[in-house]
Amino acid sequence: MTENKKKILEMLAQNKISADEAYRLLSAVDSGEGGHDNAGHENTESKRTAVKAKPKYLRVTVTPNPEGTSSGNGGLFQDGNVGRVNVRIPMSLIRAGMKLTSLIPPEALDKANKALREKGINFDVRNIKSEDIEGLIEALGDMEIDVEGAKGEKVKVFVE
Amino acid sequence: MNRPPMLMHVKVQNKERNFGIWLPLFLLIPLALVILIILSPLILIAILILWPSGWGRWAWLSLQAAFASFWAIRGLKVDVENNNECVYISVI
Repeated sequence: MTENKKKILEMLAQNKISADEAYRLLSAVDSGEGGHDNAGHENTESKRTAVKAKPKYLRVTVTPNPEGTSSGNGGLFQDGNVGRVNVRIPMSLIRAGMKLTSLIPPEALDKANKALREKGINFDVRNIKSEDIEGLIEALGDMEIDVEGAKGEKVKVFVE
Repeated sequence: MNRPPMLMHVKVQNKERNFGIWLPLFLLIPLALVILIILSPLILIAILILWPSGWGRWAWLSLQAAFASFWAIRGLKVDVENNNECVYISVI
């Protein structure tokens, strides 16, 4: 085990970082080590390809600022307070949801096209094919959104 | 192929109540299958009658989408918490 990995595990044990962050850091360390070690590099590359090829879940997490004060009286985002949110959506459910688009009546698609044209976007939504959607879902594997709000809340959207 | 969902855990916690339930979805699957088999002639006739108007295709696609969504729900987890309330839904 390298020094970096030990440090990450120590930080996790001391609750300085979350399990998700530790996993991410360990993955980053692994990929970094792969650059120096050839056999390790191949192994890491194959692992990374496998991970990229099969994203299983879309994760959305909202972590409130631990130092923030709470003056709300119940609502999730009431009075500007942000609650903790942890959502894990299976990719297969997203694919199934995308199939629901075939249920949209053609008249509604015409309206959507018209609205897009009015906004200056010349795009026919009927041209979206299932292969495009599959490509889009696979491309989600590279996506990572990490936003910190004005009140210190952290919003993360990523694929695992 | 994905495995179907087996259990659903729903938990709601707040100041007034602490409610949690495990729903055995694996028991619902055979039940739904039996109902589907019983109703299949009626569904088929309805789809054939509605087909010329275009609604038959819509009904068929709806059935497919509902089935696919149910089958794909395994692994879904929703955990929302604020100061006073916590809602947790997990499908296993």
